[in-house]
Amino acid sequence: MNMSARVLVVLALRNLRRQLRRTALTASAMIVGGALLVFSLAVGDGGHEQWIDSGVRLGTGHVTVEHPGYRVSRRIDDRLPADVRRLAEQAFAAPDIAPYVVASSAKLSLNGLASSAAGSRPARIVAVDPVAEAGFGMLDDQVVAGRYLEPADRLAAYVGAALVDSLELRIGSRFVVQAQDAHREIAGQLLRVVGVFRSGLPEVDQTVLQIPRDTAGEWLGSARDVTNVGAVLSASAATAGVRGRLERILAEPVARGDARVMGWRESDPALAAAVAVDDFGNYLVQAFLFTIIAFGVVNTVLMSVMHRHREFGVLQALGLTPRQTGAIVLVEGLTLSAVSGLIGVGLGLTLTWWLFGDGLDLSGMMDEANGLTVSGAVVDPVVVPLFSVRRIAECALFILGVGVAASIYPALRAARIDVTEAMKFDR
Amino acid sequence: MTNDAAVRTAGVWKVFHQEAEEVQAVRDVSLTVARGEFTALAGPSGSGKTTLLNLIGGLTRPTRGRVWVAGREVSGMTGRELARLRLEQVGFVFQAYNLLPVLTALENAEFPMLLQGVEAAERHARVRELFARTGMDGLEDRRPGKLSGGQQQRVAVVRAVAGRPALVLADEPTANLDSAASEALLEVMAELNRELGVTFVFATHDGRVMERSRRLVRMVDGAVHADERRSS
Repeated sequence: MNMSARVLVVLALRNLRRQLRRTALTASAMIVGGALLVFSLAVGDGGHEQWIDSGVRLGTGHVTVEHPGYRVSRRIDDRLPADVRRLAEQAFAAPDIAPYVVASSAKLSLNGLASSAAGSRPARIVAVDPVAEAGFGMLDDQVVAGRYLEPADRLAAYVGAALVDSLELRIGSRFVVQAQDAHREIAGQLLRVVGVFRSGLPEVDQTVLQIPRDTAGEWLGSARDVTNVGAVLSASAATAGVRGRLERILAEPVARGDARVMGWRESDPALAAAVAVDDFGNYLVQAFLFTIIAFGVVNTVLMSVMHRHREFGVLQALGLTPRQTGAIVLVEGLTLSAVSGLIGVGLGLTLTWWLFGDGLDLSGMMDEANGLTVSGAVVDPVVVPLFSVRRIAECALFILGVGVAASIYPALRAARIDVTEAMKFDR
Repeated sequence: MTNDAAVRTAGVWKVFHQEAEEVQAVRDVSLTVARGEFTALAGPSGSGKTTLLNLIGGLTRPTRGRVWVAGREVSGMTGRELARLRLEQVGFVFQAYNLLPVLTALENAEFPMLLQGVEAAERHARVRELFARTGMDGLEDRRPGKLSGGQQQRVAVVRAVAGRPALVLADEPTANLDSAASEALLEVMAELNRELGVTFVFATHDGRVMERSRRLVRMVDGAVHADERRSS
């Protein structure tokens, strides 16, 4: 910092100290605003992370490798070739990807028909490796009758509670599923209900049934083929990085049109939209709050400028340029915002972690009987706040931005003063 | 302009427009102030002396005419150039002292040199020497609020002189001071003029300033009415 800049900073800091009460009042607003911003974003991000986690576990993971046509057709024809499946499974175990992977699962998912003596219902048949899927999904924890699939199971089915009800099934009941097989023929398979789950998502409970992948391979003639290989990651923020690495590893099958790598935002656009809309609402509230705070900063800095009209005249008479004069005011606003905003961020982090680190229980605001779902994800009423360096940096930058923006007008006023008018002595 | 002129004005006019009325604050003033002069611009309120001082100091631009300070023409300078000129060539002393309240007496006096980039040791040496000359020893760390009017004005004089400008422009420097403080201040400025060769131009209607000045330029209605040189 050159000498002039240092002088300007010293002047700015001492002026803030000179109007201590005014500075303290504005700083308090900034501190409270910063703390609320951090709390609100940490709880919002924590809630979103839970939505995403729930959504991807019921779906195809944070990242998924599929045939490019599968997402639209949902047909067995658009399954992954065996060599691509193996490459994808190896990719998830690669040293630069594995640390982010909590669980991976290769599934064969297709639409079919489930029939019993009571009638037929459309069904979403998901063929899984029971061990891998137990780590990947959450349905295994939502048993309401019977048990989850086991590796030794063959003609077993783990069925959504609403589908069980509509087909008038119970544990041990037999029913038939029909779907198009690998030879483009309609094939049927007799299954036995070993377990019933209730996810809380009507569209899942009414349609989904899981069966062992080996059973599906024999029934549909698809051997060990799958329609997707997906992974649940340690954090949704890792999605883009993992996806990029997967695309590099799978560059060849992707190039020849045998595979496509997708992040959860593409594979579950409704969930991505729900998160974006919720974030937008949160940002609007923050923008409103900080607009009010910004007016406080404008008021403080502008009052200071008006109060020091003559002083700015003196500074320019002594050789400061209008730009340097304005810079003093900007530094004041920036310093006020930076110091109080960062204290606010620190306070917000500490209080949020201390008071709600184990989770903020919002069950009182929800209808527990029916639960709450958002775009295919089950909402946990206990929200664990999520802190990230990126978010904290964003908060700090936002607060600094508000400080600078709020100081621009007062700075212009200071820079544009008429020196001779400012210097006139009040006779 | 000759090299020994601190200031020269040639046919300078300053016209203000107040609503529909045109006010000729300075009318066709041509004046040369040599280096080392101790000159007073005298006249009643509204005679244009402060406006002429502002024109010389580059705080306002002439409507017509030209102004030179230390050999450089001021009239056509950009705002940045004017700021540079004020920083390096012009010292100001104001009626209301106008010290920066958040700085100590020492810091106030050093302020222009700080902006000029003068080294700390050099700044301290110059200011302490001038403080000793002006009887401000021991008051370096006081803020303006803890100084009397006379003391504040002496700090303002040191501030104006310490950066070694080509001239010091003083606008009614004694107007807020009692007789004793005025005399003491004038003595300080006269000594700085005599011993260091600092050029002073005053705008004043204080008889004591006029008495001490070696040149008295009387202004009436924005124009130079009389220009008297006196022996010191």
